[in-house]
Amino acid sequence: MNGPAYASTLELMSGVILVCAVVTLWRRSLSAVVKALAIQGFALGAVALILGIRQHDAVLIVVACLVMASKGVVIPTLLGRVVASDPSSREATPIVNVPASLVGAAALTFLAYGATQPVVALIPTTAGRLVPLGFATLLIGFFSMVVRRKAISQIVGLLLVDNGIALVAFLATAGVPLLVELGASLDVLLAVVVLRVLAAQMWSKFGVLDLDQLRELRD
Amino acid sequence: MTGFQNVVAAGLVAGAQIVTVSVGGLLLVGVMRKVRSHLEGRVGPPIHQPLLDVRKLFTKQRMHPEQASWVFGAGPVVLVATAVVVAAISPLATTRPPLGRSADFFAIVFVLLLGSVSLALGALDTGTPFGGMGSSRAMTIGALAEPALLVAILAMSIPAHTSNLPVLVRMGLAHPEMIASPARILALGSFVVIILAESGRLPIDNPSTHLELTMIHEAMLLEYAGPDLGLVTLGESMRLTLLLGLLVNLLVPWGVADRPGAVSIVIGLGALAGKVALAGIAIATFEVFTAKLRLFRVPELLAGGFVLAVLGAVTALVVR
Amino acid sequence: MLALVVLAVPFGAGVASAVAPWRRWVGWLCTASIGAVLVCGVGLAVRVVHGPPVTAFGGVLRVDALSAFMVIVIGAIGVLATWQSVRYLDAELVAGRCSQRHASLYSMLVQGFVTAMLLAVVAGNVGVMWVAVEATTIITTFLVGHRRTRGSLEASWKYIAICSVGIAMAFLGTVLVYLAALHVGHHEHANLDWTSLMAVSHHLDPGVMRLAIALLVLGYGTKVGLAPMHSWLPDAHSQAPAPISALMSGVLLTVAFYALLRFKAIADGALGVALPRALLVAVGLLSLVVAASLLLSQRDYKRMLAYHSVEHMGLIALGAAAGTRLAIAAVLLHILGHGLAKGVLFLTSGEILLAEGTTEIAQVKALLARRPALGGVFAFGLVALLGLPPFSLFVSELNMVRAETQVGLGWAAAISLVCMAVIFGAVMSHGRHMLFGAGPDGEQVHKTPAIVTAPLIGALIGCAILGVLAWPLAGLLRAAAQVVAT
Repeated sequence: MNGPAYASTLELMSGVILVCAVVTLWRRSLSAVVKALAIQGFALGAVALILGIRQHDAVLIVVACLVMASKGVVIPTLLGRVVASDPSSREATPIVNVPASLVGAAALTFLAYGATQPVVALIPTTAGRLVPLGFATLLIGFFSMVVRRKAISQIVGLLLVDNGIALVAFLATAGVPLLVELGASLDVLLAVVVLRVLAAQMWSKFGVLDLDQLRELRD
Repeated sequence: MTGFQNVVAAGLVAGAQIVTVSVGGLLLVGVMRKVRSHLEGRVGPPIHQPLLDVRKLFTKQRMHPEQASWVFGAGPVVLVATAVVVAAISPLATTRPPLGRSADFFAIVFVLLLGSVSLALGALDTGTPFGGMGSSRAMTIGALAEPALLVAILAMSIPAHTSNLPVLVRMGLAHPEMIASPARILALGSFVVIILAESGRLPIDNPSTHLELTMIHEAMLLEYAGPDLGLVTLGESMRLTLLLGLLVNLLVPWGVADRPGAVSIVIGLGALAGKVALAGIAIATFEVFTAKLRLFRVPELLAGGFVLAVLGAVTALVVR
Repeated sequence: MLALVVLAVPFGAGVASAVAPWRRWVGWLCTASIGAVLVCGVGLAVRVVHGPPVTAFGGVLRVDALSAFMVIVIGAIGVLATWQSVRYLDAELVAGRCSQRHASLYSMLVQGFVTAMLLAVVAGNVGVMWVAVEATTIITTFLVGHRRTRGSLEASWKYIAICSVGIAMAFLGTVLVYLAALHVGHHEHANLDWTSLMAVSHHLDPGVMRLAIALLVLGYGTKVGLAPMHSWLPDAHSQAPAPISALMSGVLLTVAFYALLRFKAIADGALGVALPRALLVAVGLLSLVVAASLLLSQRDYKRMLAYHSVEHMGLIALGAAAGTRLAIAAVLLHILGHGLAKGVLFLTSGEILLAEGTTEIAQVKALLARRPALGGVFAFGLVALLGLPPFSLFVSELNMVRAETQVGLGWAAAISLVCMAVIFGAVMSHGRHMLFGAGPDGEQVHKTPAIVTAPLIGALIGCAILGVLAWPLAGLLRAAAQVVAT
C-alpha cells in the first residue's frame, strides 16, 4: 500500500472510531448507539487490517478479521437483542445533559492529546500520531459509563473503553502477542455475555433496565 | 491581457456567478419542492414556480406596517446585497474569482451572517409578537451554529495554512487525498449540520409549515409583502445555493475551472449547477424522512455539530 | 511438571463437578483437590527456595519463590473455603433456595476460580497473568450473584462494571509496558515475559512508563479494592455466599496485589523508586482513611468485614511502597495472615447468618452465651484480624511500620497507626455488641458441629504459630522478598 493512501485511510478509520464514540454520547436512542458501536467495531478491524497489510503480517490480518466479527457483528447483535426487549430504550434523562456531555467529550479529547505526548514522541510514524484518538475514545467511554443511567449505556461505555485500548494496542505495537490478543478478545466477549445475562436477570427481577433502581446497597 | 480586459473579464465572471446563483437558487428551491412532492406521492408545482412567484411579487404593491421604521425595508435589501457580494467573490465556477484575494472564508461567513442579522432586525422592527418570536428563535439557533461554523473553518484552514477560500478549493483539486483527511471530513460533517440550521431546513425548521407557533424562519417573514417578500425569497434561495455551493466545492472540487477561458467557466457553472442540484435533492429526500426536532432539542444537535468541528480542529492541529 | 499439576488438579475437579450431579462426595473431592494444590505448593516452595525457578511450556509458566508463596496462600484458604462450601450447599439445598444444577454450577465455578487464580500467580508472561485475572472477574461475577436476590444482582452488576474498567486500564498499562520494551535500543524480540522485562527495565522510556504505572496502579488497584476504586468491594463481599467472600477477600484481592508487585519491580527499574512509591502511598493512605471513616457506622457485619479488607489492602500497599526486603517480607506474611483470619471470619459469619438468619449487627446478640463454639471462633478471629499478638498480623504490621520508618515514610506509618486505632475501636464495639451479653432465658445453648469449627480453629492456630515463630516460612519469605524488593 503506497504511502499517502495508507496514511489517509488509517487516519480516516481512526477518525471514524472517535466519531462513533461521540455519537454514543449524542444520540438518545439506544438502538442508534448500538449501531454506532457496530460501525466502530468494523472500523477497528479495518485499522488492524490496514496495518497487517502494510507490515505483511498474516497474524495481524487474522486478528483483524476476528475483531471485525466479534466487535462488529457478535457483540452489537447481543446488545441489540437486549435493547429490543426493553420498549423504553431511550436515554431520556442522563445525569449530565447532552450538550454538556458533548462539550465534555471535546475537553476529554484535548486531555487525551496532552496525556499521551510521551507515547507519540516515542513512535514517530503515522500510526503513532493517531494513538491519542484511542485514548480519547477510552476517556469518552469512561465518561459515558459515569453519566448514563441505563444499564445498556454502561455496557456501551465499557465497550468503548475496550475499543479505545484495542486501537492504542494496534497503532502503538501492531498488536500484542497473539495469545494475549485472543485472551483479551475472549474475555471481552465473555464480559459482554455476563453483562447481558445480568441485564436479563435485572429485567426479570426489577422490571426495568434503569440503574437508578439499583439503590438498595448503600452505606 | 491588459488591465482593462482583466477588469471586464472579472466583471463578466462575477456577473455570471451572480446570475447563476440567483436564478439557479430559485430553480433549486423548485427542484427541492418537486422532489419532496414526488416522494410524498403528489405531482407538486412546476420547477420554475419560484421564479414565477418572485416575478409576481415584484409587481405587487409595497406595504409597510405603520409602526415599522427604515430597518424593516432595509432588511431584505441587505440580505440580497450580501448574497450578491458573496456570489461574486466565491470560488463557485472558477478557482480564480474576481477579488479572490479578499475571499477569506471567515469574511464570507461574516458577510452572510450580516444578511441574516439584518433580516432578523427587520422582523423585530415590525413590533408584532410573531416577528419577535421568529427573530429570537432564529438568533438563538444562529448563536449556536456560528461558533461551530467558525471552528469548522479553522479545522479546514489549518492543514492548508490559509483560510482563503479559492486557495482551499485549489488545494483540494491539486491534492485529492487532503479531502479524505479526518480533519476535513469532520469539519464538513459539522458544516452539513450548520447548513441545515442556517437555511432553516428540517430537522431544525420546517420551511413549509403554516402553524405560526412552530415557525422559526417563516415567522420573520409574516409581515413582508410584495417586492420586499420577493427580495427575501430571492435572498434566502441565494443563501442556500451559496452555502451548498461552498460545501460541494470543498468536498468534490472537480469541475471547477482552474484555467481562465470562457469554455472552462461555462463548464464550471454547469458542474456547480449539477453538484448543487444533487445536494439539494439529497436534502429534500432527507427532509421527507425526518421529523422536526422540538425547539429545546435543537441545541443538542448543534452541540453535536460543534463537537464534530472541535474534533476536526484538534485532529488537524496534531495530525500533520 | 509440578507447576502443571498445580493447575491441572483443580481444573480436573472442576470438570468432575460439572459432569456429575452434586453430591457430598463431589464437594469433598473439590476440597481434596485444593489440598493437593497446597501440598504441591509446599513442594514447589522447597524446590525454588534454594534452586532456580521452575518453568513449564517454555516460560509461559514460571514459579519462583514469590509465586510458590502465593500458591501456598491460595491453597490454604482454598481448603478452608471449599470445606465450608460443602456445608453451605447442603444448607441451601435443604432450604430449597438452590437446585442441584445450581449447586454443581457453583462447585464448577469455584474450581474454575481457583484455577484462574493459580494461573495468574504461576504465569511467567504478564499478558497471561492479565488474562487469568480477567477470567477471575468473570467467574466471580456469577459466584457473587449465586443467591439470585435483588441485593446480590445489584452487587454483581456493580462488581463487573467497575472491575472490568479497572482490568481494561490494567491491560492498557500492560500494552504500554510492551510498547516501551519494543523500543529499547536494538532488542527487536521483546515479549511479555516478566524476566525479559526485568532485564531491560533500566532502558524503558520513562515517559511511557510513568503513564503505564499510573494506569496499572489504578487498574489492578481496582481489583485489589484500593480507594477510590473500592466501591464494588463492600457490596460484592457482603452479598456473596460466605465461602466465596472468604476466597475473594482472603485471596483474590492479594492475587491482584501480586500482579501489582510484579509491575512495581519493573517500574522501579525504569523510573526509580520515587513515583511508584508515591502512587502506592497515595492509594494506601486513602484506603485506610476511607475504611476508618466508613467502618464506624456499619450496621451489617459482613459489610464491616469487607471494609476491613479495604483497610488491610491499604496497609499492604503502604508496605509495598516502602519496598525494602523487610517490607516485602512483612507484606507477604501479612497477606497469608490476613487471608487466614479474614477467611475464618467470613466463614464464621456465614455460619452466623445460617443460624441467626440476619446480617444486621443489631439483631445478633450474645453469641458467646448462645453459641459458644461459633462465638469463640468469631471472637478469636476478630482478635487476629485487629493485629493483636500472638497472631501473625501483629508481627507483620509491626515490621511494616519498621520498614516504612526506615525509608522515610514514617509520617505515612503514623497516619496508618491512627486509622488502625480508629478501626480497632469501631470493630471492638461492633464485636462487643454481637458477642457479649446474656442470652434470653430458657434458650438452650446450641452446639455447632465439630466438622465446621475444626478447620476454622486449625487456621487460627496456624496463624498464631506463624505469629510466634515464622520458622516454617522464613526461608521462603526471604527468597520471595528478594524477587521484587529494591
